[in-house]
Amino acid sequence: MVRKHTRRAAKAAYAVSLAVAIVIGLIAAGAGAAAPSAAKPTVTIGTKNFTEQYVLGELYKQALEAKGYKVVYKENIGSSELIDTAIKSGKINFYPEYDGVIVTDLAKKPFPKSAAATYAQAKTWEQGRGLTLLNATPFFDSDGFVMLKSTATKNGIKTIADMKKLKSFSYAGFPECKTRITCLLGIKNIYGLKQVKFVPLASISVYTLLDQGKVTAGDGFSTDPQLQTGKYVTLTDTKHIFGFQNVAPVVTKALAGDASLVKIVNAVSAKLTVAAIAAMNKAVGVDKKTPAAVASAFLTANKLK
Amino acid sequence: MSILAAGPVIPNFGSGSKCEQTGGWWCTDWLRAHWGDTLQPALVQHIELSLIAVGIGFAIALALALLGFRFAVLDAPFGAFADFLYTIPSLALFQLLVPITGLTVTTVEVALVGYTLLILYRNTVAGLRSVPAEALEAARGMGLTRTQTFLRVELPLAVPAIVAGLRLAAVSTISIATVAALVIPEGLGRPIFVALEQDLFKTEILAAGGLAIALALVADALLVVAQRALTPWSRA
Amino acid sequence: MIASTFVDALRFIGDNPGLLLHLTAAHLELSLTALGIALVLALPLGLWLGHRHRGLFLALGVSSVGRALPSLVLIAFMTLTPLGIGFWNNTLALTVLAIPSILTNAYFGIVGVDRDVVEAARGMGLSERQILFRVELPLGLPLVMAGIRIAAIFVIATATIAAIAGGGGLGEIIVDQASYGLSGVIGAALCVSALTLVAAVLLTLLQRAASRRPEPNA
Repeated sequence: MVRKHTRRAAKAAYAVSLAVAIVIGLIAAGAGAAAPSAAKPTVTIGTKNFTEQYVLGELYKQALEAKGYKVVYKENIGSSELIDTAIKSGKINFYPEYDGVIVTDLAKKPFPKSAAATYAQAKTWEQGRGLTLLNATPFFDSDGFVMLKSTATKNGIKTIADMKKLKSFSYAGFPECKTRITCLLGIKNIYGLKQVKFVPLASISVYTLLDQGKVTAGDGFSTDPQLQTGKYVTLTDTKHIFGFQNVAPVVTKALAGDASLVKIVNAVSAKLTVAAIAAMNKAVGVDKKTPAAVASAFLTANKLK
Repeated sequence: MSILAAGPVIPNFGSGSKCEQTGGWWCTDWLRAHWGDTLQPALVQHIELSLIAVGIGFAIALALALLGFRFAVLDAPFGAFADFLYTIPSLALFQLLVPITGLTVTTVEVALVGYTLLILYRNTVAGLRSVPAEALEAARGMGLTRTQTFLRVELPLAVPAIVAGLRLAAVSTISIATVAALVIPEGLGRPIFVALEQDLFKTEILAAGGLAIALALVADALLVVAQRALTPWSRA
Repeated sequence: MIASTFVDALRFIGDNPGLLLHLTAAHLELSLTALGIALVLALPLGLWLGHRHRGLFLALGVSSVGRALPSLVLIAFMTLTPLGIGFWNNTLALTVLAIPSILTNAYFGIVGVDRDVVEAARGMGLSERQILFRVELPLGLPLVMAGIRIAAIFVIATATIAAIAGGGGLGEIIVDQASYGLSGVIGAALCVSALTLVAAVLLTLLQRAASRRPEPNA
């Protein structure tokens, strides 16, 4: 009698388990089949054409790949104007940008008075065009008016305004500097230094030109490793023409809708302090490591990979 | 400060050697460290770009040359077109193609193929024309059909000129492919551009440039060997 | 859409004649200086070696090596010299690129002259110099001129790339899309193509004219 009960109970239990298993299996299969539609989007990352951008690009690329995202990497597209065209036309959907550049050079608005205001204005402007910004990095990388320390000391120059002591001088910068209020236009119009002659950079770096005495001064970036060597000085920007320049990834609204992607990217951005980026720039620019290797080491050390 | 706001861990990336830091002439440690991730991939990409260009260029040029040889009236326009393409500076041609085919490998390949056409077309036609009349007479005397004559007499005798053309085309393609790095980040031109930006890092420029020169010389030598192998009668 | 890009480029050319002329002048200055130096170095040497029937190995070697030198590589190498990054480093690079064609063609042009004609001239008592200039050079002129023509076109075309090493010229616009926009880049590309085509046509005509000189009595 016990056996009959047990056997029926066993059969029932067996049947129920089987049913449950089948249902679970169907749900799992259904979820698996539905997974492609909820699958991770392909991220096409673009970068501009200098060392820090290669490092940033590799950081985001490897962090996303480590978490299962497919990343198409388009390094070295060009300046802000070019890469902005690329994201607007859908050729890429992610690139790291400097928020001050967005406000003053793409949106063509006067430069805001604080880092927070810069980020907020940049984000609002991009959102009006179908894009958005993810979190900003702690580090900022502003342009700087750079010259050889020897030149500055010889002429008694400490601030950009002091440059009026020179009857004429040459200033080297990336081509886009010529039309930017955060660069040459600011030097000419806001500081009133009309005697400046602009020398566009093609492939040679501004520090090489300074070393060879080909230009008086040039457009350097605050996180350039060369600025850590003491050979060059950055003149004080009393009128704040160079603004605030924290980095924030510009992404399409579609990508921003992927909560997991946003979390990964923001986690990386949060770790990028000035010290971190300067160290990585030095590793690539001075110690000649590859951006990929440097990014990998950083991500691994911070458990982001 | 909460744990969440802790600063990043900045690992030791390994400082470069004295040579690397000052951008020395021949930093063996840089070369050893970066052969695998910089120089070798660039070399492989360069070989790929060149092979595809010369391969496709040869196929097209051969077809055009056969037509131009057969129908002499076509020779002038074909030649003129190839001549015209060849004169356009490579950098200009790349940029002219970008609006049409984008910043892609296709743009680079189209331009590279265009440059091979002149050399290969002219050399192939000249080679076919250089076949002595006696050889053709002899073939006809032996009763060979037009096609047989072509395949067994004309083409083999044209081989020296064709291979000479391939040598020129291969070397010039390898050279122009270095400029391609301005459009797509591939090939041996890329390390050169990166090095120019990095305060003229001499080792990288010399290494990548040296590889490009070596590649051209090796390609030339291989084709000379091929020519000797394909024309055993010239060694008699 | 592609058509509009080229239309914009033409408009750029129309809007910037001064800039384009200035850059064309710089382009030609660089090219002609390099060509001139190469002619001074290579032409006499090639002619003399051909006349003496010596140096075949040198001529062939220079030709092979010269062809294998990728122009970009040479321009990059020259930035490492003390010549700096401006006019002279690029002039040196372009000179080196021009020499092989001039040297090799000058050599083969003279070497290929019928030896009987040369012997006859020698028999008539002409000096070696007179033989070279009055007999061999006129007869070998087509090949010699071809070498100069090839070198000239090559130099003008390669001067475009010199812009990345501070050489200026029309290449300066082509590598600088950020400043001049796509219309500028395409416009400059069209200009430099036209420049090389015009040069090619002129030099071909010159070569033909020089080759049609009446042969000297032998």
